[in-house]
Amino acid sequence: MTLADPTLKEALENAPARARPDVVRPDAEYFVFRIDSLLMGVASEQVREVTRLSALTALPRVPSFVLGVAGHRGEVFPLIDLLRFLGQGESRTSPRTRIFVAQTQGAVVGFVADEVIGLTRVFVDQKLPPPAATGPNSEFIDGVVNSREDGSMTLLNIGRIMQSARARVVSR
Amino acid sequence: MATEETPQKTPKQKKPAAAKASKPAITPGAPLTKVMKALEYISAGDYTARVDVRGLEPDAAAVAELLNRAMDRVSAEQRVAAARRDEMRHMLEAAQGALSALVTRGDLTTFQWSPVDDAVIDPLLDGFSRVIETLRVFVREINEAALRLSSSANEVLAASTQHESSSTEQAAAIHETTATMEELKHASAQIAENAGAVARVAEETLNSARSGRGAIGEFIQAMQQIRADGLAVSESITKLLRRVERIGTVVEVIDEIADRSDLLALNAALEGSRAGEAGKGFSIVAAEMRRLAENVLDSTKEIKNLITEIREATAAAASAADASRQATEQGERLGSVAAGAVEGILAGVQETSDAARVINLATQQQRTATEQVVASMGEIEDVTRQTTSASKQATSAAAELTQLASRLSELIRRFKAD
Repeated sequence: MTLADPTLKEALENAPARARPDVVRPDAEYFVFRIDSLLMGVASEQVREVTRLSALTALPRVPSFVLGVAGHRGEVFPLIDLLRFLGQGESRTSPRTRIFVAQTQGAVVGFVADEVIGLTRVFVDQKLPPPAATGPNSEFIDGVVNSREDGSMTLLNIGRIMQSARARVVSR
Repeated sequence: MATEETPQKTPKQKKPAAAKASKPAITPGAPLTKVMKALEYISAGDYTARVDVRGLEPDAAAVAELLNRAMDRVSAEQRVAAARRDEMRHMLEAAQGALSALVTRGDLTTFQWSPVDDAVIDPLLDGFSRVIETLRVFVREINEAALRLSSSANEVLAASTQHESSSTEQAAAIHETTATMEELKHASAQIAENAGAVARVAEETLNSARSGRGAIGEFIQAMQQIRADGLAVSESITKLLRRVERIGTVVEVIDEIADRSDLLALNAALEGSRAGEAGKGFSIVAAEMRRLAENVLDSTKEIKNLITEIREATAAAASAADASRQATEQGERLGSVAAGAVEGILAGVQETSDAARVINLATQQQRTATEQVVASMGEIEDVTRQTTSASKQATSAAAELTQLASRLSELIRRFKAD
């Protein structure tokens, strides 16, 4: 395989030969995505993989934020619309819609995203507490990062979201 | 002696005649004295002397009676002769008077005559009378002739005056005609010139129309070529559309591959991340791969946009080609119509050219004819001028003739014939 793209070449050249421990500033890696116009991040270790939206089976008697169940590599997991869950409207699906599969404490849940931005390293001192006006959703928000190029990014606590979602589904 | 006696006695003749009455008284008593005395008187020429027979003796009385009777007879003869002489003189006086009247007053009517039983005078008077009669006839005839001549001369004068005026009018008319013919000549020259110009223009038009015919033929060929080209363009556009569709499907495939690559790179990055420090480099490579895939996606999006644009452009080109085809068909139709029109123009212009040439020829002939007419008119004018002067002369001659006729009439009026 020839690497025609100069940017790829450059990236390869700039890639460090081996990982260097960052001793100066503690940081965390986030999986960043966009739904509608909202830019959100999830701790990358909690994201297992990203797939495309495949056949979706609707579930009866579930909250509207549960879009249904989807199967991937012999595994079945519920698919959640974060906008509906957070009461921020509802997302629309398209052929370009991405699903990221989150895994915490043995539970696997798929989330719909319009676009996956990628993995971003966020320094801990960059994290800001969530604004006071967020209301009932504040428990799901770890903090807010204001970056110059991407604007404001909300860091979600996906574990709590999954717990709460399960609780709401069960309570139903 | 007689001659001495006669003059002595002639003056005494009256005295004896006067004294005769007293003489017999002187000589009474003598028997023959009285007879002798009477004879003396008689011989002296007094034929009136008679013898007084009273108192005479019978013998003497018989002689005296015979003498008296003889003397009575002589007296009677003498009276007859005197009467004839008087009549003759009277006639001669009348002839003289007539002659005088003729000479002084031209009067021919005064002479009346009757024969006077004279062998000399009668023929003379007869001749004179005949002369007068002849003159009267002459005068009458001349008078009549003069009257006729006068009226004829007047007629001639009138005719000649009329002729003169009409010949003057004719001269004027001829002059006018000549002027008109000159104008006609100029006009026909103008017509000839114009017809020549028309012929030239028609010739030029003919050439133009011929080249127009050629141009229209080329135009029609060009239209056919354009239509053929348009068909080729349509075909090409159809082919291009098919290729573009093919490119679209290929791009879809590339898009799909890029999308999958993106996902794979993303998942690889996640895997790298999970591997911790050891997977960091892997993650970076994966991120770069993702960027690459995104670039590809961007490019395919661009290609898709381009394909859309190409589709629109080709659709526009197709409709344009269709319109062009229709336009060229229209153009061909118009071209054939124009060709027909130009053919008509050609025919018309040919006719115009021929007609103009004919007109030119005709006007040239007309010009020649007009020139001849003008020349003839000039000759006629000359002749008319001569005629006019001749008729003027004739008029003056007729006027003179009239004057002469009236003069003749006047002259002949002096003679009185009736």
